[in-house]
Amino acid sequence: MSPETEAGWVPVARLEELDARGRAVVRVGATEIALVTAEGRVFAIQGRCPHRGGPLVRGFVEAGPAIRCPMHGWRFDLETGASDRPARATVYPVRVEGGQISIRL
Amino acid sequence: MDVASIDETIAGEFRFLVQERAGWSLVAGPQDLELVAHALRVLLHTGALGDFRDEYRALAACQHADGGWAPRSDEPASTVWVSAFCALMQLRGNRILGEPVLAASVGRAIDYFLDTQQDDGRWVDPRWADLDTTSHPVSFFNVVLALGERHRRADVERAWRRGLRFILDRQTPEGGWHDAGFHPSGVEITAHLIQDALVADLVLGERVPGIRDACRRGLACLRGWQAADGSWDEENVDHTMDSVRSSMVVSRILGDDAATTAPIERGLAWILRHKNAHGWGDFPGMETNLERTCDGIDTLCKYRAFAAADPRAVVRLWGYVP
Repeated sequence: MSPETEAGWVPVARLEELDARGRAVVRVGATEIALVTAEGRVFAIQGRCPHRGGPLVRGFVEAGPAIRCPMHGWRFDLETGASDRPARATVYPVRVEGGQISIRL
Repeated sequence: MDVASIDETIAGEFRFLVQERAGWSLVAGPQDLELVAHALRVLLHTGALGDFRDEYRALAACQHADGGWAPRSDEPASTVWVSAFCALMQLRGNRILGEPVLAASVGRAIDYFLDTQQDDGRWVDPRWADLDTTSHPVSFFNVVLALGERHRRADVERAWRRGLRFILDRQTPEGGWHDAGFHPSGVEITAHLIQDALVADLVLGERVPGIRDACRRGLACLRGWQAADGSWDEENVDHTMDSVRSSMVVSRILGDDAATTAPIERGLAWILRHKNAHGWGDFPGMETNLERTCDGIDTLCKYRAFAAADPRAVVRLWGYVP
């Protein structure tokens, strides 16, 4: 078992695996997670919008930093998952070391 | 566009939807009512609703005492957006089914929308932008007026006019509608507003000044926002389906087919290119979901009507003419 795994950190992707916008969808078990780069940092948020299941990885990044779902515009704070809408998204702590992106579930 | 191939696709996708009935049927158990309403619209537009009468009765059974519906059939609190979609399906479905229990359901829904309109003409729903929310009861009232429903007729017409005014007053100088909190690009909200709320007035006798020009400018915006590959909103399948449907009914009512048929054909070709083996996902390459599949079937049904010899056939699929 790696030290990362022992501490609850799960390696999910390398920086060079992110697309041109600094994004990727990863899966940890059955959980789909969107990696999104905003304001020079990588954030991890649940993959699907709690409203109608829109793919947050295709969302619009805004100041905050926040992401807005591409389907119906629900906005989520990338640090906390908070929203003005009647929902909250799950966000995950992210660590980047030596190009390796890890998240803590 | 090869209409025989489209007919074949409609038939195949409809069979798939019926196979997946447990995922949308209220008879099978509690459901997401937005999905149920999407499915009932497919039943209506494929002429199959007579075989699914129990679904309409089940929708009436989960209507709340205030006349509204909740986003899920087993939730207690009514919300406007989904209530209007459900009410519209009950009203249009009952033109064919003719059931007293559904007629009573429609009357209660009218009461609900009259009770929930705000002083400035809007309706609100925390899950949707106010403009989008307002378009739905207005759309329901469009069909109430078009079909001659008598319940509280004068109140309905007054609320309908106030809802239309709220929408008209918020059109931007470029011709589209935007909502900073929900729809910055404006594509989906503009497509919804011109097809579902505004354009019906031109069929109902042009009772509200300014609607013809508002629709013409909104439609021009939609055409301008289309990508070269035929899609709208960065390959958004939902918003492309909305834009194609909106362009069909609005251009037909405006008599603007010459400018809009080519964008419609490009949009439809893009939709067909990005269909999965069964159904559609929210973006190209994504897994199929039933709501998008219902939208896809509905879009194809409306295109068949758009291409039909009867110029009013497509308008009939919005319920604006009997």
